Amino acid sequence: MISGGRSLVSSLPAFSNDAKKLLICHGNTVSIFSTSTGLQITELEGHKALVTSVIVVPASTPASKILCYCWTASLDGTIRYWDFSVPELMKMIDIQLPIFSMVIPSLFSQSMERDEKTPDLFAYVSIGANKQDKQPNTSRGQIRKCNLTKSCLAGGVTLAETQEPEFITICPFGKYFGIRDKRKLRIWHVPEKDSERIEIKKMRLHHTKTLTILAFHPTKRIVAAGDVTGRILVWRGFGNRAFSLSNRLKNGRLMTYEDERPGVRGDDDADSCTTWHWHSSEVKLLLFSSDGAYLYSGGKEGVLVIWQLDTGKKKFLPRIGSPLLFFINSPDPSLSSISCADNQIHLMKMPSMEILKSIAGIKLPCSVPEICKNSFSGFVFDCAAGLVAVCAENYCIQFYSLFDDREISQVQICERNHQPGDELTVIVTLVALSLDGCVMSTVETRLPEEGIGGLVSLKFWMCGSQIKDFSLSTIIYEPHRESGVSAIAFHPTRRMSVSTSYGGDFKIWVGNQDIQQKDKMLQKTRWTCHAVGSYKKKPMTAAAFSADGSVLAVAAETVITLWDPEMNVLVAVIGDSLEPIGSLSFVGKSEYIVSTSRGSNPQVSVWSMSKLSITWSYKLHAEAVTCTQDGSSFAVLARLPESSEAAEAKETMLQSKDGAILLFKVGDPVPVATWFVKKSWGGGLAFLHMNPAAMEEMISDENPASLLAYVNSDHEYILFDPYGAQACERGVGRRHSLGGFQETGQFGYSSIYVELPEFDLKKNQTLPITFTPSERPWETIFSGPSHTLPPLTKLCSSFLESLLEKRTAAVE
Amino acid sequence: MAEDHQIIAKNFPVKPKLKPTSTKSTSAESKYWKSFKPQPIQTLIASITSLSFSPAPPHDFAAAHSATVTIFSSQTLEPKSTISSFADTATSASFRSDGRLLAAGSHSGIVQVFDVKSRTPLRHLRRHSRPVHLVRYPRIDKLHLFSGGDDAVVRFWDVASETQILEFTGHKDYVRSGDCSPASDDLFVTGSYDHTIRLWDVRVSSGGSMMEVNHGKPVEDVIFLPSGGLIATAGGDSVKIWDVIGGGKLLYSMESHNKTVTALCVGKIGKESGDEAQQNRILSVSLDGYMKVLDYAKFKITHSMRFPSPLLSVGFSPDCLTRIIGTSNGKIYAGKRKTKENVGAEVGNIAGLGPINEPPKRALRPSYFRYFHRGQNEKASEGDYLVMRPKKVKLAEHDKLLKKFRHKEALVSALRGKNPENVVAVMEELVARKKLLRCVSNLETEELGLLLGFLQRYATMPRYAGLLMKLAKKVVEMRAEDVRSDDVLKGHIRNLKRSVEEEIRIQQSLQEIQGIISPLLRIAGRR
Repeated sequence: MISGGRSLVSSLPAFSNDAKKLLICHGNTVSIFSTSTGLQITELEGHKALVTSVIVVPASTPASKILCYCWTASLDGTIRYWDFSVPELMKMIDIQLPIFSMVIPSLFSQSMERDEKTPDLFAYVSIGANKQDKQPNTSRGQIRKCNLTKSCLAGGVTLAETQEPEFITICPFGKYFGIRDKRKLRIWHVPEKDSERIEIKKMRLHHTKTLTILAFHPTKRIVAAGDVTGRILVWRGFGNRAFSLSNRLKNGRLMTYEDERPGVRGDDDADSCTTWHWHSSEVKLLLFSSDGAYLYSGGKEGVLVIWQLDTGKKKFLPRIGSPLLFFINSPDPSLSSISCADNQIHLMKMPSMEILKSIAGIKLPCSVPEICKNSFSGFVFDCAAGLVAVCAENYCIQFYSLFDDREISQVQICERNHQPGDELTVIVTLVALSLDGCVMSTVETRLPEEGIGGLVSLKFWMCGSQIKDFSLSTIIYEPHRESGVSAIAFHPTRRMSVSTSYGGDFKIWVGNQDIQQKDKMLQKTRWTCHAVGSYKKKPMTAAAFSADGSVLAVAAETVITLWDPEMNVLVAVIGDSLEPIGSLSFVGKSEYIVSTSRGSNPQVSVWSMSKLSITWSYKLHAEAVTCTQDGSSFAVLARLPESSEAAEAKETMLQSKDGAILLFKVGDPVPVATWFVKKSWGGGLAFLHMNPAAMEEMISDENPASLLAYVNSDHEYILFDPYGAQACERGVGRRHSLGGFQETGQFGYSSIYVELPEFDLKKNQTLPITFTPSERPWETIFSGPSHTLPPLTKLCSSFLESLLEKRTAAVE
Repeated sequence: MAEDHQIIAKNFPVKPKLKPTSTKSTSAESKYWKSFKPQPIQTLIASITSLSFSPAPPHDFAAAHSATVTIFSSQTLEPKSTISSFADTATSASFRSDGRLLAAGSHSGIVQVFDVKSRTPLRHLRRHSRPVHLVRYPRIDKLHLFSGGDDAVVRFWDVASETQILEFTGHKDYVRSGDCSPASDDLFVTGSYDHTIRLWDVRVSSGGSMMEVNHGKPVEDVIFLPSGGLIATAGGDSVKIWDVIGGGKLLYSMESHNKTVTALCVGKIGKESGDEAQQNRILSVSLDGYMKVLDYAKFKITHSMRFPSPLLSVGFSPDCLTRIIGTSNGKIYAGKRKTKENVGAEVGNIAGLGPINEPPKRALRPSYFRYFHRGQNEKASEGDYLVMRPKKVKLAEHDKLLKKFRHKEALVSALRGKNPENVVAVMEELVARKKLLRCVSNLETEELGLLLGFLQRYATMPRYAGLLMKLAKKVVEMRAEDVRSDDVLKGHIRNLKRSVEEEIRIQQSLQEIQGIISPLLRIAGRR
């Protein structure tokens, strides 16, 4: 069983101490990515629910930078302590309440003074109320203190109660932490010596609008907060009264200068408050740079604004392409990361604001206006390669590998500039992939403005190589006059496809290859219309080719028409369903067709081609149908009926599960297997057929490789073997494509200037001058520069010595 | 890394819709055949029954029409001389291998041999009792020729003595065509209206044919292909290729002409490389006005060309520079290909005039102006590593304005730009931003005039009509009051009205045509 597609940007990521790794909360795990390659190195598995915060234990000395410890907190109510280099779980604290946010202030301040006996480590956690005592009126979020050393919640200390669990922001040196609470900030001062029952000083700052985020200055007593209207407020010198250690007299003196505090509201404890306004909508991201000179802010516009703190001057990093969520600095000043709402994390080179690497998760579903909602759910599967092609909001199609859980490539479908937050007027309404995955066709619709200028265009894309780099082959403007395209189906073996329209006709397109021989071989495929067909001018709603490609089934509203695609001849017409048919598919090589229809009388029907009649049907609202390619079974993703009494009784059992996957054998109306799933509305289902070579190393057993992939409405997916044991355990491991190697990158000083040469002190000592004994030493003895000559006393003796005649004959 | 960077920096300019690419593939070959530019040539009186090129340079050609044979220069395509000593209609002019003698038949049954220069008839070969339609000199042999006529007899002559050497009988109907083998001067084929093609050998005196193939239709023309092993025959609306060595096996039948194929000849692609079969093509002309080029190595038609009148004869010069086609109404379509060799030769001459003595290079000193420009135009040499500057994206004026969200200015700047594609592209972009109608309502009077002028010119063009028609309607609705108050705009509206009326007329006539055609199509579909 493989699951994936979870959000990378659910909560704040964290850099490791050497800035070579980025720890990202990734569903139930924490994934560790290399910052130099942008690939996943490893992951920390253990939490049973969404991980909400990850805190890397900071290094107090340069030597301990290689230490890789982190704390994680999760909605499953546990706090865990990991060594993430190994990776290994070192400690687990169970507090049994879902944790939405956690800060550990003492990690940052503790390093300053080192006692022999380390004091207890305290964390401040934002927890949600237990599900058992669900009372609507009481506040659901609490800020509690937790003793990590003794692994228990500090008894009786509840710092605050909020309506919803809030995100706790901590100041970089660990002295203050705070939350936003509607129209005010609540800031606490962490005592120097933290213990279980010490009193924690607190204060509040007020504003007239609902605040969204706050940030603390790294060195000074400055706090910034953003609100829903896009204003940024910067309070300087907050908490002089409340947090000062000196006596009350001093405070009293400060009070006298009250009228000199510009911008500060009422009785708030701050020296001044300035307001900056650039963002047009709510501020989502706010952070001070590590040196405290700049403030970064971002929001829905997808523009990172860099404010110079002293002057309020702005710089911009525009065109990031999606709303910004988080921004974090790394210990390396030249690296930072920015998390975008389209499930992407960019690593940025800092002063120049260049994007070095992008870590991309699966794209989130985009919101489609109601006018052009059809049965297309926003993604298609490439069954052969195990990929899913997802339509993103910025007119791209992302190819995402289900096995590797990472992005393969992106194809720009429509050359338009996308601004996050713009109203969508050009929509990719349909995507289809051929069975071998090397032809893609897309339909994009430009919505008309008061009836002017609407356009439907059908595009065919050809894949160059295995990496899914599609290039545009043919554009067809208005393929079915002005009516929209309802479905596209590809011939299983040939270069042929069919597009059906609501306007009452379908067209068969054929790709002709023409090889032009000029200076180089130029191979191009041109798609041209091969045939046009219609049936009683009824809207054509779905189409499918049979497994051998000899029969084309086109749904004409409520009936299924069977055509010979080559000759374009109507062969047969099958039956009548109650509602317009939404999708059609042939069940493998068998003679059955499965059709689904929605509306007030939803139906899943199996039709027999030999008898030209219905075999069996269910009243089910099917989201998706998939058939095995060779076998005779198919799976249906069905919505559970909302208000039926039976479901209500089961509600406690099913919890929030609103859909079911039913696996059928084709002749038998009793499902073989059933699974209940969550968030099935707008989900998808597919059998993945893998080539045996690719699966060889992963599969231990012999049965044919066929996995069922289920993608829910949030684009989280799961792959499992539908025929396997109920536990779905199978020898299919994730293909770990670890970005194993890590560069020994330089950072800080050495990344700007090169590594300083190491001075070898020993080398500096002058080498003793060697004398070369020659036959006539008096000729060489005084040659050379005077500063290298040995002292005269030495020379003299050797000179005199050389004058003496050497007695070669040895005296015996 | 560069790719990631692009995600942020990407900025798409508005682009007009793509135009459909023509389905006709303009391959290198059809480009070659199109390069024979037709040149005007004097119209002759009667239909041109035969065209033949002189084998010797400068490859003049002779056209037989009515009772004359006209010799044209292939350089100037002007008539050089006319031979008119025929008693009846002249047929089938044929040059001797050295190009000095010309033989021609006539409807009177006499074959005459002329000196090309003096135009005097040198010999008269009288034996045929009916009109002669075939006279051919062998490829190398200068002493003999053969002829065939409507008396169904093929005769082999010794020209000098004016005597008939051999008489081949076997055809049962008019002999209208023939060719001698390029491999041997003793072999030739003739085609007849009795549907057969017969191969003769002059060394066999028995008078019987060596081989006989049946084309199935009266044979209009027959040629040997350059290898000598294949023959191509034309009869009815088909061209057939036969293997002579293989005992007369039918290799291929081309049936893409709609009417009788009247003549064939061998054309050559002027390529130096490649073996013979790759270079040679069969050119066939037909009464349907088409000339088709058949690649007989691949058995594929590589080019086809239409002429306005029925075609009767075709010729292709041995130097591959001239192609002539004769029609039934006396016109000759002569095409000459431009050669680049002449140009090359001229350049060579200029270079060959002698070494151009270059002025001695002066050493650059700071007192010269050029000193300060030295090295600025230096080009990178082969092995240098180039540090590329990122390419600057050039944006058009309207793109820049669109980027700044100044929509009305963008529209006006595109309208001033005179390129209708850009205007429509900007309009489409504005539709996508839902700003087009606001732009229209904001236009000044002068700018509105610009827009109305554009609409009047392009609203009825099918490419833009879908958007512009609706827009025109909306503009008139929205700005009615402004139009009423301004005379210039009133003029624009009048023009617009006129062009719309014209379009309606066109549409009506098209619908009439559709009404005529659709029953025909329905009937054709049923069959």
